[in-house]
Amino acid sequence: MEIDRVDGRTENQLRPLACSRNILNRAHGSASWSQGDTKVLAAVYGPKAGVKKNENPEKACVEVIWKPKTGQIGKLEKEYEMIVKRTLQSICILTINPNTTTSVIVQVLNDDGSLLPCAINAACAALIDAGIPLKHLAVAICCCLADSGYVILDPTKLEEQKMKAFAYLVFPNLILSVLPEGSLKVVGEPMEHAIITSVTQGAMSVDDYLHCLDRGRAATAKMSAFLRKTLQPQISSDSSKAG
Amino acid sequence: MGLPDASGDLSSEMEVDAFRRLFPLRFYERHLAESIRPDGRPLGRARDTTIALGAVASADGSALAKIGSTTMLAAVKMEVMTPSMESPDEGCIAIDFHMPPICSPIVRPGRPAEAAPVVSKQLSDTISSSGMINLKELSLVSGKAAWMAYLDIYCLDADGALFDAALLSAVAALFHLQIPAVSLNDDGKIVVSEEDGGKLEKEPVNKEKRKLTLRSIPFSLTCILHKNYILADPTSEEEAIMETLVTVVLDSSSQLISLYKPGGAVLAYTSAVQDCIALTRQRVWELQKILDEANSGMEVD
Amino acid sequence: MAGRRGTNPTTYSPSLKTQKTRSTIFKDDWVRPDGRGFQQCRPAFFRTSAVTAASGSAYAEFGNTKVIVSVFGPRESKKAMMYSDIGRLNCNVSYTTFATPVRAQGSDRKDFSSMLHKALEGAVILETFPKTTVDVFALVLESGGSDLPVVISCASLALADAGILMYDLVTSVSLSCLGKNLVIDPILEEESYQDGSLMITCMPSRYEVTQLTITGEWSTPKINEGMQLCLDACSKLANIMRSCLKEATTTSQE
Repeated sequence: MEIDRVDGRTENQLRPLACSRNILNRAHGSASWSQGDTKVLAAVYGPKAGVKKNENPEKACVEVIWKPKTGQIGKLEKEYEMIVKRTLQSICILTINPNTTTSVIVQVLNDDGSLLPCAINAACAALIDAGIPLKHLAVAICCCLADSGYVILDPTKLEEQKMKAFAYLVFPNLILSVLPEGSLKVVGEPMEHAIITSVTQGAMSVDDYLHCLDRGRAATAKMSAFLRKTLQPQISSDSSKAG
Repeated sequence: MGLPDASGDLSSEMEVDAFRRLFPLRFYERHLAESIRPDGRPLGRARDTTIALGAVASADGSALAKIGSTTMLAAVKMEVMTPSMESPDEGCIAIDFHMPPICSPIVRPGRPAEAAPVVSKQLSDTISSSGMINLKELSLVSGKAAWMAYLDIYCLDADGALFDAALLSAVAALFHLQIPAVSLNDDGKIVVSEEDGGKLEKEPVNKEKRKLTLRSIPFSLTCILHKNYILADPTSEEEAIMETLVTVVLDSSSQLISLYKPGGAVLAYTSAVQDCIALTRQRVWELQKILDEANSGMEVD
Repeated sequence: MAGRRGTNPTTYSPSLKTQKTRSTIFKDDWVRPDGRGFQQCRPAFFRTSAVTAASGSAYAEFGNTKVIVSVFGPRESKKAMMYSDIGRLNCNVSYTTFATPVRAQGSDRKDFSSMLHKALEGAVILETFPKTTVDVFALVLESGGSDLPVVISCASLALADAGILMYDLVTSVSLSCLGKNLVIDPILEEESYQDGSLMITCMPSRYEVTQLTITGEWSTPKINEGMQLCLDACSKLANIMRSCLKEATTTSQE
């Protein structure tokens, strides 16, 4: 099906991705991630000694602070903080540094649609930069559903507003033949097919949602390849930073 | 008690209550292996649910919803506002979810619960996504006056599945809402028409619009994913032990309004997502029936 | 759409302020809006264990006044607190946004919180839980007049439900002075045009008063009369509360 997107993209085409890491001096890890004009900066501090409130003798704690581009923190920001926090918790190996807190600060630089997925990608890249041990990567994407039933990926703000529904999806991505202990396997479904996070808005049929899952999943393969390519060569070069 | 024997294990010498407190996860897993939950429910069953309409006399619409011991009180109060320039024919609905300190030991005065703004946002999103309310029906005088419906939901007892109970009480309160008859007075202000005098002083401006037409009603079900198990309608104890939650909202015509899974250690495979949706379908049917019964109970009185 | 509170336009309530002319209450044939006698209280309904998440709780309904009180603890005191040989009582009273006829931002009532604290302090045996705090939180679901007395009575029932030791149940009744009439257990409308008010909080079995509040202009005989009316009502209220507690224990034993 042919559709017109304002910027001339095809329905499956993502906006240009850009990622740079280690951009802040004082943070233990940092990264910026942009998808077209949406740009988010993430900084990671820690693991540091646990604060009283988050103390847990068995698990490490992840806290997320969401900084909007302008204005005050409202309910939306609180919700995003919670979603990013739970998503990051699911990819971190929390048992390695028990009783510590890792702070992730997410600073929105510009919002042109797909903000939450972009922030999750930035936070994930920043965690890698900080050398936090992860089970696997998390790759986030936004799928938009139009009235006529077609799905477009990585919408701009204008497209998000025009569409009847959209879904923010986060998929796991790993290159491991052996799964970590305790993770479950479902016969016939590779791990990449599972979802870490799903947030939807607007009404859609269940089939449309499952369709979004398929399309999103296919696109995240490309995104994770990009993420790995950007981050890999630098990892060996600055092991000194880990302390 | 209900525990299978484990020879050589510490648990065989321990009291059930102590075991439950010390090894909550293992306590639950032993139950799950037997396809039963500590409160006696099968995995896919929700707790007993009741709705009472019209619980608050000082509000224009109200409802008390109980799912197990989780209790929510929702009330709508109608006020008048000047509509915005962009949408002169539309009213507005403002939804707020409160967790007062009475509802849970973790909330203290001056230290609000972290969950409250998130549930609040989820409720607003769900109600606007479902399109259950036509905001045009809240218009009074085009460009001059429109209704602002303040929907406040109070959690009176927090025992898991807060969003489900909050949404249920919210839609029930909107269902119960009776919009007051109002008229425009000489100062250009909207006032309640006084009907007790026998004759009306002024013609009401909203004669026909006394009840909202709810196009489709959204209902939700929260499930816990743990290993390969799916537990419907978790209690707060279950939520604390097994942290991966999936909330599915479907409306009366089986449209998917929201599929909300904020992270969590367990990944949701497509088969699990479909199972959750199937459980929700069944639940929607149950809740619809409970709401209808609550409504017919009102009419009899 | 369903926007944030901060961005909402200003709104007003369309309900009319029905200003009853005050003079009607000076007439001899004045009857109370709900048809009660001047010395007749509203029917009281109590239920314990309304909130499962709390150590103890109670729900009270007097006409349109509906209140829930939860008790938590005894639990760890706040870190900033100094060491204390006796327990602490921490009270908080708040209202829902829809409690009052005109919508208000649901808010803490600091004045009621401290009144509640003072009313209960004398009855609770604080020595039984040293170093710890008992939290008493009240939420007024609907305000229908005489809110504070209802909150106080309900709170003492919740404390009893939580198993906190007390010398006696605490009951509270208020009274409004309208012209030459004394009306007991006033509703919101009566409170709005009262000349003075009197509230007594007492431990009926011990015949001890823990709190007495008088506002407005009173003559000494009037005060005596009012106090006696309130004390009688308090002891009746205590009977109702006691039977509620007994009922709760018998049903739980079954």
